[in-house]
Amino acid sequence: MIDNTVVISTPPHVKSKRTTRGIMCDVAIALLPCAIAGIVYFGWQAFVLEITSVLGCIATEFVYYFIAKGGFAKKCKNAGKVCKKWFCQFDMTSVVTGLILALIIPSTTRWYEVLVGSIFSIAIVKMFFGGTGKNLVNPAAAGRVFMFLSFALTTYVAANIGPTMLESELFTGATNLSGLLPKVTEGAASAPYSAMTNLDLFLGTGVAGCIGETCKLAILIGYVYLCVRKVIKWWQPALFIAVFGFVSVLAMGGLFYDGSAVVYKFDIELFLPSVLSGGVLFAAVFMFTDYVTSPKGVWGQLVYYVIGAALLAVLRVLTHLEVASFIILIMNIFVPLIDRFIMRKPFGYIKQKKTKEGK
Amino acid sequence: MKAVRGKYFFGGVHPHDEKALSKALPTEIMPLPEVVAISTSQSLGKPAVPVVEKGAEVKCGELIAKADGPISSDVFASICGTVEDIRDEKGVGGATEKFIFIRTNGKKENAFLPPLADPSPEEIVQRIKDAGIVGLGGAGFPTAVKAAPRTPVDTLILNGAECEPYLTCDYRLMLEKTDEIARGARYLAKALKVDKIIIGIEANKPDCIKKFEAYEDILPVILKKKYPMGGEKQLIYVATGRKVGLGKLPADSGVVVQNVATAFAVCEAIEKGKPLIERIITVSGRAVKTPKNVWVRLGTKTESVIEFCGGEIHRPVKAVQGGPMTGVALANYEAYTHKTTSGILLMTEDEAAADEPTPCLNCGKCADVCPMHLMPMNTAFYSAAGDYEAAAKYGNTLACIECGACEYICPAKRPLIQAIRKTKAEMRKLQQGGQKK
Repeated sequence: MIDNTVVISTPPHVKSKRTTRGIMCDVAIALLPCAIAGIVYFGWQAFVLEITSVLGCIATEFVYYFIAKGGFAKKCKNAGKVCKKWFCQFDMTSVVTGLILALIIPSTTRWYEVLVGSIFSIAIVKMFFGGTGKNLVNPAAAGRVFMFLSFALTTYVAANIGPTMLESELFTGATNLSGLLPKVTEGAASAPYSAMTNLDLFLGTGVAGCIGETCKLAILIGYVYLCVRKVIKWWQPALFIAVFGFVSVLAMGGLFYDGSAVVYKFDIELFLPSVLSGGVLFAAVFMFTDYVTSPKGVWGQLVYYVIGAALLAVLRVLTHLEVASFIILIMNIFVPLIDRFIMRKPFGYIKQKKTKEGK
Repeated sequence: MKAVRGKYFFGGVHPHDEKALSKALPTEIMPLPEVVAISTSQSLGKPAVPVVEKGAEVKCGELIAKADGPISSDVFASICGTVEDIRDEKGVGGATEKFIFIRTNGKKENAFLPPLADPSPEEIVQRIKDAGIVGLGGAGFPTAVKAAPRTPVDTLILNGAECEPYLTCDYRLMLEKTDEIARGARYLAKALKVDKIIIGIEANKPDCIKKFEAYEDILPVILKKKYPMGGEKQLIYVATGRKVGLGKLPADSGVVVQNVATAFAVCEAIEKGKPLIERIITVSGRAVKTPKNVWVRLGTKTESVIEFCGGEIHRPVKAVQGGPMTGVALANYEAYTHKTTSGILLMTEDEAAADEPTPCLNCGKCADVCPMHLMPMNTAFYSAAGDYEAAAKYGNTLACIECGACEYICPAKRPLIQAIRKTKAEMRKLQQGGQKK
């Protein structure tokens, strides 16, 4: 006969085996190729930074859990129990945050800088807002921006920015009637960045940049893994990259005077270098797709990715800097608005307006 | 007719179906129970009013409670015996219901209605009403009301999807009583004055599809295996391409959907005069010794059904009446079977989900799988804050069909259906309050 240990709840009584922890494990696994590629390209410093960042994030979360709620003294008394409880609710999100944070900084960063960044990411950006699922902005992006502003990660701008850096050369020397519209110069567009081929950019060989962002092949492996495990939707990064590529190509083009009329010219060959340079691909696969800080509905997500990509492309051309993490923060702030105003129509939705007019 | 493939609908989940436990087992007839307790609330509407006194002798199939109102249904004695008691008790859903207790006197006398030969549409509707037939798929909406829609319809869809995991009662019925279902469907079609009969069957039941292909007037539609394919609105869309508007009835789109078990009951009621007193119940789950598909009389105690199936072999973590996606969790085996009870499941720890909820990640998976294209996470978020109006507005909760797909897929194991039901109840209160003012 049944006893009182039976569980009573609302349906459904069967649930998928997928848990938050499982999904975050998948993300961490997808990040591993990038982490390994980083170690291969940048040596033991990259490894130290990755370990420091991950451990820093986990430790911060644990310490916060330990001192935040319920009497500190009481928790100290039965510390073992608290540790066990913490481990039960530990959902791997801080591991993912730590890994991403380590992969989006240059290998020349000092270890204590990363440690401070990871503490900032977890304690201030995530835990102060209520922990997993409650943070307003992407903790890793915020941590990177924090480090960028505090420690001036100037080395970052170095070489891995691709053709956007060179666009001034594209236009130099071009004269025209009013000085506003540069003339088309044959071959000038492809010449300056011929030093670095698309293959180099794709594999990250000889490219200076951040630990995890240089090897695009590793990022693609992670992307395929995430899609196969259905953690992210395949079209999200694809859409982002496509929009980003085209907008940056357009933004790098300009109005030219070809002798008889003013025309808008752009070089479609710039598509691949602009997509493959910098941290765009990494941001598109691992950071824009962050569940917590992206819109909930499909239409909202479309808007989010398109605007985010366009904004990033334009700002990158204008500032000549890698501004992906700033754009992520900016877009994150608009997510609640997107969620509020882009509503989904239910199945079998009937237009309300017509009936009102009829009345 | 040759089977055709159904359309695709967005959303839905693919739970592990576990039908293999009871799929191959032919139906068995359970011996008549000693005592039955028949609830008077057997349909969506008001409870029926008892028409027998305590101590009265009743025969099997005799009317014991009369329908009260249009969407209420008649209730019949399922065994021969004496009315032992009429009292209020807690029903399966937790609400207090009036139960009529009948103790058997060992006789096997039937008091069925006279069989009808070649009935007219009006006679069919009247007979469905007199036999107390309700939708046996789970909702319990009186079939007679559906069989006489206010707007003209052109299609009758039989629902043989059985998309719920574990349940195989409709599958067995379709295999064993194919002819009766087809005849019942023709009676229903005659009552509705339609000549197009579609039967929707999920692709995991190819033998049923083959059987129904033999009928010239019935078109089998092969449905992709997906939950909730058997949801009324989803089935209509998949089978005919029509959408049922929010707050509208299927009949407004020219379609009436009936479960295959309902069609069988209609056939029995017309050809044998038998009211709705028994149905097939799938007893399954890994905690049951021998899973079975059993013909059970209305009002049989859950305990005796489980005993008939050999009792427990493992300690169940959850006992469920109905399917695992929409059924009711039982606190004990005291519950009595209902017209709409399609299954009794005893689930072990491995099968049943009893995880602690973790914080919502905003992953949006609940919205992705929602067959009604709603935003369950918004409902959960706002209802947790007590703002039910916002919950209904941003989650579109009132359109929810409570299929449970969102909670199934949720990686954080949030109790979404609970939030949705709470919001619906609160909104109903608010709307009623508004009307009074």
